[in-house]
Amino acid sequence: MVNLPRDISPGTAARRSLLADLLAAIALALLVLQLAAGIGVVGFLALLTIATIVFWIALEAGVRRLRRRGKAHI
Amino acid sequence: MPLARSARSYTPIPFWRRARRIFLLAAIACLIPAAVSYVGAMSEKHNVGLGVSSVEWLRQHGGNSLVSQVENWYYTLNAPEKGGPPLRSLPQVGIAGVGGSGRSESTYRPPRVAPIIHPALPGEGVWKAAAKGAGPRPPILVTTFRSDPEYPQFVAGVAWIDSSLTHLSYMPGLAEPPSPLPHRGPSEVPGALRKRVVATFNGGFPLETSGGGLIYRGKAKEAMVNGAATVIEYRDGRVDIVRWHGGPQAPANVWFAKQNLPPIVYEGRLNPNLSDGPEWGETVNNAVRVWRSGLGIDRKGNLIYAAADNQTVESLAKILQRAGAVRALELDINEDWTSFISYSRPGAAGPGNLLPEMFRPSDRYLTPDERDFFAVYLRPGEKW
Repeated sequence: MVNLPRDISPGTAARRSLLADLLAAIALALLVLQLAAGIGVVGFLALLTIATIVFWIALEAGVRRLRRRGKAHI
Repeated sequence: MPLARSARSYTPIPFWRRARRIFLLAAIACLIPAAVSYVGAMSEKHNVGLGVSSVEWLRQHGGNSLVSQVENWYYTLNAPEKGGPPLRSLPQVGIAGVGGSGRSESTYRPPRVAPIIHPALPGEGVWKAAAKGAGPRPPILVTTFRSDPEYPQFVAGVAWIDSSLTHLSYMPGLAEPPSPLPHRGPSEVPGALRKRVVATFNGGFPLETSGGGLIYRGKAKEAMVNGAATVIEYRDGRVDIVRWHGGPQAPANVWFAKQNLPPIVYEGRLNPNLSDGPEWGETVNNAVRVWRSGLGIDRKGNLIYAAADNQTVESLAKILQRAGAVRALELDINEDWTSFISYSRPGAAGPGNLLPEMFRPSDRYLTPDERDFFAVYLRPGEKW
């Protein structure tokens, strides 16, 4: 068994967590594709999910920017 | 002096953010095969708009109940109001003075459809020839009448097809039935048969939606379902509408058969489940008012096609029953799929929709169509 190095840079740690999330996402996608009634309904719901999450991320970024701007004025 | 790697701070991402990232990546991964399938389907030959094709693709790929649910909400929110000002005239259909009723057995003509709303409007329920040059015994008669006293503005269009003069043919479409089909044909009225075509009309729900069976050229392409309403043509050319009891395979005497849900009229009576039965649940709800079409057969064995906007399954059944059908089934619903087209001259010339409000163009079946349909041809030896 190979032990992953523990003394890593923050960038490497971030990449490692991204890889883990990517693998989890692929497993989740395969499960959904296997269980769903068809690829159409999966695609439709995937589009809705992407739109929701992208909107959520954009909203978060907007709020963060507003807060920063507010702090700069103080 | 630079800090050691481990000494530099790495703030772990919060759990909820990682979960969000996983869902986003999973959604992107799911979208890739769906997009490949969608783009492939959309780049095939179509004669409907992108919106309709997209909805059809979604239906065919597991989204049927989703689409039906959205349609139910839409149509329920846009349901028509009862009442309203009375109509002063009906849409002009058919050729006045040609056709009419007859009692003689050799030249049977159907009796006038008794108007429901009084006073009747000029020509209401009176059968007229669909084509000008159809001679004294036109094979297709058409009429219109107001079908519901609570909604006096709704007009039903009905066509009567003389089975002694015509021959019904099932024509597969480009995408329906979906299974590999030998002899699929051109998905339009074939050029060689156009000199004899007198009418064409929509062929019923896709098999995946109806859950019904199909026999094509004497072979079961989709297992037949006992109890389902079935348009059937026997090898001797006789056409009927029956409640199927022949098992999943094709009996030797059947040339084609297509099923679509349970019968809506049977032996002269309305199906008792029309208003609340679960049998209609796979499609747009039975009580939603939408364009609907149906096919019936009268006691003499002649076919009767009916279509109208803003109909429930029950009101459609009543239209067919009133027009003389003793057995009937629902065909397609929604404006995109409801078509009855008659041709006024040989060579499929002068095509015209049964009702002017019908959405699809009257040359719909003269170009390849998505869906299967029925074509009505004059029998060999019969002339225009």
